[in-house]
Parts: sequence; C-alpha cells; structure tokens
Amino acid sequence: MTDLLDPGLRRWCLLAAAASALPLWLQLPGWLQAVLAVTALLGALVERRVPAALRVLLTLMLGGMVFSAYHFSVGRDTGCAGLLAMLFLKPFETFSTRDARSLLGFSLFAPFAAFLQDQGPLVWSLCLPAVLLNTMAMAMLTPGASRPTPGWQFRQAGFAALLALPMALAGFWLFPRLGAPLWGLPENATSRMGLGDRMTPNEWLDVLVDDSPAMRARFIGATPPREQMYWRGPTLTDFDGQAWTRNLGLEQRPAPTLQALSGLVRYEVTLEPTERSDLVLLDLPVSAPAMSTLDGDMTAVMASPINNLVRYVGVSSPQMRYLQPLDGWSRRSALALPPDLNPRTRALAVQWRRETPDPQALTLRFLKWIRRDFSYTISAPPVGINATDDFLFETHLGFCQHFSSAYAVFMRAAGIPARVVTGYAGGHYNRIGDYWLVYRKDAHAWTEIWIDGRGWVRVDPTAAVAPDKILDTVDDLQARQGLAGLAGGVLAPMFETSDFLRNAWNQMVLGFDAARQKGLLRPLGIKEAENWQLVLAFSVGAVFALALTLWLLLREHRDDSDPLVRAWRRFVRELGRSGHAKDTHEPPLQYLRRLAGLRPDLSPAFLDIGQRYADWRYAGLELAEDEKTDLARRLKRFRLAAAMKR
Amino acid sequence: MAAVRDGVERFGDRMAALAWVRPKQPEALPAQINRRRIYVLPTGFGLFLSLLIFTMLIGGLNYNNNPALLLVFFLAAIANNSLVSSHLLLSGVRLKALHAEPVFAGQRMTLRLRFDAEGARDRLGLELLCGEAHANFDLPAAGEIEVALDVATTRRGWLSPGRLRVSTLRPLGLARAWSWLRPDTRLLVYPTLDTEAPPLPEALGDGDSPRSRSHGEQPHHLRDYRDGDMPRQIAWKASARADRLLVREYEAAVARDIELDWFALPALSHEGKIRRLARWVVEAERSGSRYAMRLPEQQLLPGCGPEHRHACLRALALLPSAT
Repeated sequence: MTDLLDPGLRRWCLLAAAASALPLWLQLPGWLQAVLAVTALLGALVERRVPAALRVLLTLMLGGMVFSAYHFSVGRDTGCAGLLAMLFLKPFETFSTRDARSLLGFSLFAPFAAFLQDQGPLVWSLCLPAVLLNTMAMAMLTPGASRPTPGWQFRQAGFAALLALPMALAGFWLFPRLGAPLWGLPENATSRMGLGDRMTPNEWLDVLVDDSPAMRARFIGATPPREQMYWRGPTLTDFDGQAWTRNLGLEQRPAPTLQALSGLVRYEVTLEPTERSDLVLLDLPVSAPAMSTLDGDMTAVMASPINNLVRYVGVSSPQMRYLQPLDGWSRRSALALPPDLNPRTRALAVQWRRETPDPQALTLRFLKWIRRDFSYTISAPPVGINATDDFLFETHLGFCQHFSSAYAVFMRAAGIPARVVTGYAGGHYNRIGDYWLVYRKDAHAWTEIWIDGRGWVRVDPTAAVAPDKILDTVDDLQARQGLAGLAGGVLAPMFETSDFLRNAWNQMVLGFDAARQKGLLRPLGIKEAENWQLVLAFSVGAVFALALTLWLLLREHRDDSDPLVRAWRRFVRELGRSGHAKDTHEPPLQYLRRLAGLRPDLSPAFLDIGQRYADWRYAGLELAEDEKTDLARRLKRFRLAAAMKR
Repeated sequence: MAAVRDGVERFGDRMAALAWVRPKQPEALPAQINRRRIYVLPTGFGLFLSLLIFTMLIGGLNYNNNPALLLVFFLAAIANNSLVSSHLLLSGVRLKALHAEPVFAGQRMTLRLRFDAEGARDRLGLELLCGEAHANFDLPAAGEIEVALDVATTRRGWLSPGRLRVSTLRPLGLARAWSWLRPDTRLLVYPTLDTEAPPLPEALGDGDSPRSRSHGEQPHHLRDYRDGDMPRQIAWKASARADRLLVREYEAAVARDIELDWFALPALSHEGKIRRLARWVVEAERSGSRYAMRLPEQQLLPGCGPEHRHACLRALALLPSAT
C-alpha cells in the first residue's frame, strides 16, 4: 500500500459517493434503505482494510437481502439495488487513491441507474450536487505540491460545471439518437400497479390510492365535458367467476371498422411509463396514434412496453357506430359465464330480460336499481365465491370494480354480450398549463354492452350511484391517512404550478427523442434531418461549445491593471505593428522622444504624454481620475491614428 | 506519494524517443512550453471513466432516457474540459534556468530549476520528473519558483539532464498533460574520491621550511564574521565580549607547495589515478597548502582556495577516458 489515502480525503470521497447514491437509495424499500445506510456508515468508520472473508460474507448477506426485497426475482430494480449495495460496500475497501478513484467512478453510475427508474426533476436535482462533489473529490485526489481548500475546490467544480453546460447541451440536443432501441429495457421485478391485465372485484387495488400522475392531456380544439372523459385502457373480456382478464386472442384480431357519429376530438397525451404496451386514449379512438396499432377491442398498443414517457396525438369521437356485426367468437366470449356461479343473479337476469327484452331498457332498469339500493364505498365488505350475488343481493356496497363486474355478469346472464373496460375517468384541469392531469388513483372500470346495429356501447354503472349514497371515496381515505386531499384546497395553485413545472420538464427534457431531433433542423430548411446532418450539426455545436469553453477559461487572463496602463500597452502594441516597435529596454519617455523625433509636428504632444505618463507611473505623480482618462484618451487617439495609417 | 507509473505514462515515455516528439533537439534556456509541445493522454482512471461514460451513453441512447443522456453529456463535457484545462495549465510555463553545484560521482546532485510563466493564471499541481526523481510544485500567477530535484550521478564529466518532463494531472486526474524539456545545459560531475588513498605526497622542494600542515594552530587575530565562515572558526567568547560575531583567523603556516603529479603515481588504472588525484586535491585544499597538479597534456599552477580546487577537480573530471 504505497499511497494510503489521507483520512480527510477519504471522507470527501465517501461523501461524494453518498451524494451519488442518494437518488437511487431513495427508491429502495424502507428496511433495505436502513440496512444499506448502516452498512455504509460502518464502512466509513472502518479504518483498515477488513479481511477478505468478512467482506465476502457481508457481500453475500447484502446480496441475499436485496434479492429477498424483490421477492427473489431478477429485474431492473433488483439490478439497481444490487449495484447500490455494492457501492455501499465499497467503503470497506477504499483505502488508497486507486480505490478512491474506482469508488468515484462507480458512484457516478448510481445516478444513471436512478434515471432508469425515475426520470423526474427531483432525481436530477439530486444528481447535480452529486456530480459536483464527485468532480471535487476527483480534483482533490490529484497529486500536487499544495492541497487547496475545499472551498476553492468547490468553486472550481462549480466553474467546471458551468463550463461544461454548453457542450453538454450541444450533445444532448444534437447527438444523433437511436430511432429504435437496440435492446429492450429489462423489466422491474416488482412493477408498479397500473391499469392491469386483471380485475378482481374482491381485491383491493393499490392503484386506487396512488397519487402519482398517470397521464396528462391537452386538448387541441374543443374540450369535451369532464363527464365524457373516459380514458380507455385494456378491455377485459374473460371472466372466471372471480377475475376479469384480457382475451389475447380477440385482441390480436384487426380493429373493427367504425363510423364516427359526432365531431372529432383531438388531444395530445403525455403518458407516464407504465411498463406495459397499451396506450391510453379517449373513448373511443378513431385511429391509432403514430407507432401504435389499434387491436381487436379498440385499444392502441405499442410494439414494446412503455418504459419512458411517451407523447402521442389521439383522435377520438365520443359517439361511434360499429359497422360490422359481432362475429361468433366475440359473441361467445362476451357471453361466457362460469356455469354454476351466481345463481341468483342469473335467475334475476333471465326474469328481467323476459320482462324487458330491449337491452337499453334493461340497462335503465338495472341502473335505476343501483340508484335506489346501492352505495359507493371503497371500503367494501368482502364477498364470497358468488361474488356478484353477494354484491347485488347482500352487501349493496362497492366501488367501480364491483359495479362494472356485476353489471357485466348480469347482462351476460341476460344474453347480452358485455365486457369490462379499464381506464381512467375524469381529470384535473391545470389552469396554468391548460392541460388535464389524470392521476393513477383516477383508475376506473366500466362496461360495454353490444347492441345490434350500434355496436359496443359504454355503460358506467358506478356513475348511477346516487350522490348522497357515495359514502367513502379515495379522497376521504387519503384525508384520513393524513395524505390529505390538499390538492383541492387552498394549496391548489401551488400544486398546479408544481405540476405545470413537472409537465414542462416532461415536455422539454423527457419527451425529446429521435423524431423530435429530426425536426430540430427545420428552421434551417431541413425537414427531416439525416443522421449525417445531425452529426455535422453536433460537430458544429461542439466546436462552438469548445470555443466558448476556451474563451471562458482564457478569460482568466483578464488584465487587471490600471486603465491607463492598459491604454499605454495598447498604444505600444499598435505602434509596434506600424513599424515603430518599442525596444524592451526603452523607457516610455525615451520611446516617445524617439517618436517625437520621427514626427516633429506631433512632437510637443508626444513629449507631454511621455512626461506625464512616466511621472505618473514611475515618479509617483498623483493624477486625478479625469486627468487619467484624458491621458488614456490621447493615447487612444494616437493609437487609432497609427492604425488608420496602416 | 511514490510515483507509480501507469501504462499510459510508460507509453508516453517510450514515445518520447520518437523523432517527431518535440523538442526534437536540446534547446537553450529559457525554454517556453507552448501548445505545439504539450502532449495529453488519458490516465488509467481517465480511460476507466470514459469507458463508464461510453457505457452510460449507449444505455441512455438505447432507452432514450433523456435525463441519463443529459448526465452523460454533462460528465463527458466536464471530462473533455478537464483536458483543455490541463493543457492550459502547462501552456506558457517557462524554464528559465537550470543549475547545480558539482558533486562527486556517485553522490546525488541537486538540480535547481527556475520556472516562471506568462499569463495571470495560477498553475497549481505541476510535477517535474527527471529519470526517477520527481518533485511537485505550484507556480503562482506572475511568480517564479525554484524547484530542486535530486538526481543520481554515476560518472565523472559532463552530465546532461536529458529529458525533463513537466506534467500535470490536474484538474481531475483524468489525463496527464506533459511536455518534454531538453535543456542543453551541461552539469559538471567530479570524479569519485578514492577511498583508500595513501596520505598526501610529501611536499617537494627545498628543505627547511616548516611543514606544519596544520590548519594554522596559532590564532593570528580576530576579524568580523563574514558569510561563509565556518561556525567552528567563530570565537564565541570574544564575540560575547564584543557583542558581535568575531572569527578567529589563523596563521596558515606557510607550507611548501604540494605537487600532485599524474606521472608520479604508482601503477593504477586510468580511472584509479583520477580518483586518487581527486582525493588528494580535496585533502590538499583542506590542509590549506598550495598545490599544483600535473596531468597529461595539462599543467595546473600552484594555488589554493575554492576556485583552484574547482579548477583541479574540473580538469580531472574532464580528462578523457582511457582508450
């Protein structure tokens, strides 16, 4: 061990590493956070290299914990946590300059990993000090005769960061992007709840209290009324008595042909990453957004899971007519019920159908029943194996999952094709940014029934609940939990502003991709930039950035001397260019005497200037400020005259 | 910190031998480092970090993860700017002078190099390397600094400092910027002293002068202290009485001139003779006697004092090798 790390330096390196690890650390489950923090603290306190056996043991232990935290499955999140665990173990073996450098290098990888999980501005703002501290620590590790103070190092790091900005931005905007990924992003082992492939009336969905945004939409042109905002997600057709699931076979068929009966609504959606490939569109989409296709049940799907924020323009129409009749397979699927479950529902459905054959009249009757007898609450009592029977005839309490499921089962039992659609309902208007924000907790489930001649028609039985029977909503629950529905209160403007900023970040930073990059050169008359044009633009940008950097670095050359001295120097330089160079050994007065000899007409002026300058500079003659400016001006006049003549 | 040379540094050293590496010829001082002779190569750490950045770039591009890409380009720009900074740290540095006191071969010679720089920038964290010896130094804006460097000497004669490397790892340690200096200064190395030399040859000449070879045992008189006087010459008691430093001046007894004759030496090797004479020169000087030296094709007249000693040792140092 030749170059043992100074303890003070080691502390700085560990601090930099800790700052880098912070954004990723915040994403871990709570108990793992605590374990890792304790480990890192121990590592920081250890003063000598611990035996290898102990380190291996520690590594294995932490590895096991990380795995168990992610239910022993390998995913992106497991990988990130593993990386972080390794970084947190690194202090145990950081004792030389070399170790410290590898620690700093690896720790720079941590913010990158954090971005794979969360691309929000918070992570970025945590990442910035991390980079600063890292550059600082790197600078401190370089050998030198003296060791500058941390304050000086910090200023240098800040200056370096500022200098890096132009180049970084040039790279960011102009470095050619990949149109399609080379390989997919590994999926997380534990995924965040979103619109699922599955809906079980009996199961509580965490998504219902998830306060994070799911999407933002801006309407281009007229905005539909809020009650009409049904954001359509996956359709669930298969029902096994407990859970509604997707019918992948049906979905893979081509989209049916529809005819819009009312005006079109155009809107731009920014969808937060979902790890699934379905897009969310306003009910009912007329066409699929770019890079996606409409599948058999009118859901737009992308080719790969959405790991990043996506932006797309959707076109929908609130009223559409299906032009083709329902084919056999679809009809069978939309009528299938497990044979021996929910006998009471089935009996009632058959009886009502007999009394009211028209599907729409039947629906109205059902909704009236709901309005009369049912209450909405998110703390619904559990139901048994005959879930629909229990809900319809016993509890009368439930939320969207219960209502939509029960209604769909009822209609199927009555012989009318029905299916459940998941998505989001409503939205929160942001006045500052003029867009609608949809939270994950706005997730909703509704139903579609098939009416011959019209096609699938949306029915939302949950909406039929009488307003005075809404007992307990998500917002109430959050208020009880102290999470507080603050967003609606006095703090609303603040929430709107912060979400507006978040949206701006999304639009400007996150939404930038190969397609937008291609359009970047449009002001230059290039419609679709080719890669070589981008490379060229990038080179030009990089050269500009480098020039700016050099200029800023060399600016330190700034001449801090008195303006009069500077005027004198410029005068001498200019006259030197005109062939009357001052000899190095020549004092100012003698030089001007020589010049005066060359130009007898100007001789008094030259002699006066020379005398005054020399007296001021060397003989301690006090000159008032205006006298100095005057002298400087005269020097400048001669300099310009000399330059003109040249 | 010991200078552990990494692979890139060794590569740079090997490249130095190439004909196109500047400076191509030894140069007269002052020698200014300009942009044409600054070389910048990444260190091992720099390569490691660029690999890391490259990996992150590929990852960021693949996932079109914009914050990650922003981070990547930010880091890349910082790294790139650090190369420019390193370059600017060296550009404008000037080696004004190089000198060293002669030493006997085998001893370490202290090179003294005087640097200054143009421009109003502080240049912190410069490193000077000569062979295995290295020194760190800072060059303040508009300042001068003398850097001392101990180098090994092996042979008598002229020592050429060879290639000196001024380099820096600042600001971030990602790259080493360096420039070679090849001052044409020659530094004198005296011959090694013979360790088994017999006592000085008896002074030659005509008989009856006293041969007190002592450093003068009879105090002659006291005089004021002058720079360069040896501490043991100071008459402390007298100084205390007089309240100023007084130095005892001795009567150097007039000794007969010592004749150091190359041709009178017993059968020794060529270098052996040189070593012995060198030893005798040192001893003769110490004895305070006057001494003369006869060498092949050279004759040094009797004399004493540092200059004479230097002249004799220089003559010995520069004797041609035995053919």
